[in-house]
Formats: sequence, C-alpha cells, structure tokens
Amino acid sequence: MPVTKKTEIIVERRYDPRACRHTINGTPYVLHCHHYMSLYTQLAEDCSMLDGRKLLAESAEDCAFERLTAIFQAQSLDHVADRIAVAEQLYALWGLGGMKVVCAGPESGEVELTASHVDEGWIKKWGKRDKPVNFVTCGFIAGMFAAVFGRPTRSYSVIETSSIVCGADRSRFEVVAN
Amino acid sequence: MAIDRKRVIAALSKLDVAGNEEGLIPAYNVFVNQMPTTFWNTFANRLTRQVGPDMLEAAEWLLVNAAHECGYHTGYGIITSEEWRSVVAPMVTDAPADVLHGAFAVFAAWGWAKAEIVELKPGEKMVVRAYDYYEADVVEYGAMSRPAAYMLRGICGAFMDLAYGGDYDPTGKTGIRTFQCVQTKGIECGDDYGEFVVTRA
Repeated sequence: MPVTKKTEIIVERRYDPRACRHTINGTPYVLHCHHYMSLYTQLAEDCSMLDGRKLLAESAEDCAFERLTAIFQAQSLDHVADRIAVAEQLYALWGLGGMKVVCAGPESGEVELTASHVDEGWIKKWGKRDKPVNFVTCGFIAGMFAAVFGRPTRSYSVIETSSIVCGADRSRFEVVAN
Repeated sequence: MAIDRKRVIAALSKLDVAGNEEGLIPAYNVFVNQMPTTFWNTFANRLTRQVGPDMLEAAEWLLVNAAHECGYHTGYGIITSEEWRSVVAPMVTDAPADVLHGAFAVFAAWGWAKAEIVELKPGEKMVVRAYDYYEADVVEYGAMSRPAAYMLRGICGAFMDLAYGGDYDPTGKTGIRTFQCVQTKGIECGDDYGEFVVTRA
C-alpha cells in the first residue's frame, strides 16, 4: 500500500548583513548559477589529472549525507518515508530539480528526476549530448541512501541509466549497496 | 559613487529564491542553485590538493575559469534584471563605474563575499578587498601557503569584462577574458582580508 508523504522539511533562512552570508538552518549557503554548475561538471569530466567525476560525486555525497543526517536528527525523523520525503524536498530546495524516489530499500533503489538543474543547465549552455552529466545527483542519491538507511558514506553505487541531457523526458538512476 | 550599498544589499538579499514546482530556480536569465558552501569548497579543495604540484596551476585555472564564465553571464543577467532596474539603476550616475560598485553590492547580497572596490582605474585596473568570504572557510586553523579564493578571482575578472570589455556576448566568444585577476592576499592565508587585483589580460 503506498505511503502518503506528508512530512515537510523545516527551513529557516537568514541573511547576516555584517558577514554578507546566507544560512539555512544555521548552515552557510551560497547562490550560484547553471553556468558555474555546468563548468564544474565539465571540469570534472575533462579532468585528466584524476577521476574528477568521482571527486564531484563524492563532494555532493558528503554534503547531502551531512545535511540530511542533521535534518533527520533535528526533526526527529525515524521512518524511511519521512526521510525520503524530506530528502526530495532538500533536493528541490537546493534548486537541483524534481526528484522522485521510485523505490528504496537498504540494498537497492530507483530514483527519477522530472526536472534537473544540471541537465537543463547543460542543455541551455551547450545543448544535448549522448552521455550523462549528472555526477552531482549520483552523489546526492548515494548520500541520501546512506543517511536514510543509517549507513556510512560510500555504502552505495549509483548509475545514471537514462538522462534528460540525452533527450529523455526524465532521468533515471539505479542504486545498489556496495 | 552614488550607489547606496547598504540599501542595495538590504533589498536584494531578500529576493525570493524559492524554487518552482519543478524544483528549479529560474532567475536573472539563468537557473540558480543554492547549495551549502561546503559542497563547492570540498570539490575545489580536494581537487587542488590531489592533483599534485605539477598540475596545481592548471587545476586552479580551471576553477577560476568556471567562476569567470559564471560571473560574466550571471553578472549580465543581474545588471539587466528587473530587480536591478528597480533598486540599483536609479542610483547610477557615473556608468560604468557605478554599475561596478552596484554589482559588488549584489555580490554581497548573493552571499559570495563581503567585498568592496578599493581602487578603480576605469578600463585599466580594479582592486577589490573581501573581508569575509566562504572560500576562506577551508582553513579553520593556521594559514594556507597559497590563496584559494578561485571563485572570487573569476568573478572579479568577469565584472571588469562586463564594465570595460565591450558589448556583452552571450556566446562568450568575445567580451569575456579581456581582464584577469590575481589574488594577492587571503584570509585563508592568514591575512585580514582577501585582495584581488584585476588588470587587462
């Protein structure tokens, strides 16, 4: 039987004019644009010095894991459905798009994007392409699954199997425990 | 300078950055994102620490370049936006210098840095000081051996491009990278402020 998602993320925004800093729930945030995101993504993909895609994904994974773990604790969220509802809202709060967790368990899961900042930003800047670019979301999903199921980071592998940037109407990710 | 910096920051820092029903934030002719500063800092810090000394300058250039291009396009979006027209444009009496001062007030409103222009030779040189910026957060103890405010370097160069680099080119083929920026001081290096010197490329 489907579970109704009603839990909402609590968001307290502040701007400190003395430091010129934005915070959400006490954590420093900053506004950037799709140009910056696209160029970081391109940098990660083209980086011959090391595995930039992994580096970018892991940076997103660590960030999502840390934030979600803190939110689950602050809002006393113990149920998987509540945690997933809040994670989907956090993804949208960050401006990354519309994320829908299709199914999730401790060992595997499936996730879809109905809209994507990374993909649509890339298309707006450079047009469509034939390979996925959403390393940031792969990392976010890995961090999300780890936080939701109480596991450490690097517990999950995420593969993007269908992509908005390649012309699909939605992006799709498959998740499996390592 | 006719720009009322405090008024600009007060007005533009309260902009509604809530996403639409798709989870996207379209504004200023771009898609905006709002992410924890740790995400950007983590990637830049790990990249520059892991590439090794031979590739460090190349990695730094890539990070600065990302910000330069972002600053050029988003900066143009900002100075042609409705918010700019309603809040900042009425204060501009000496363009493009006032536009630059206004842009740095927006800089603060977006949470990029508490920064101001301390020297401006129109069309030639600009010196910016930043008294608080998130890129310095990578150091919590001691001082780095080289500055790490790649985003600020890129944005400072881009804003001079917009002011003195000719007409805006949405394709990015001309107009951009007519200026370059060097970071001469950094809070992350133990200085009281970050300093950014922009000159013709």
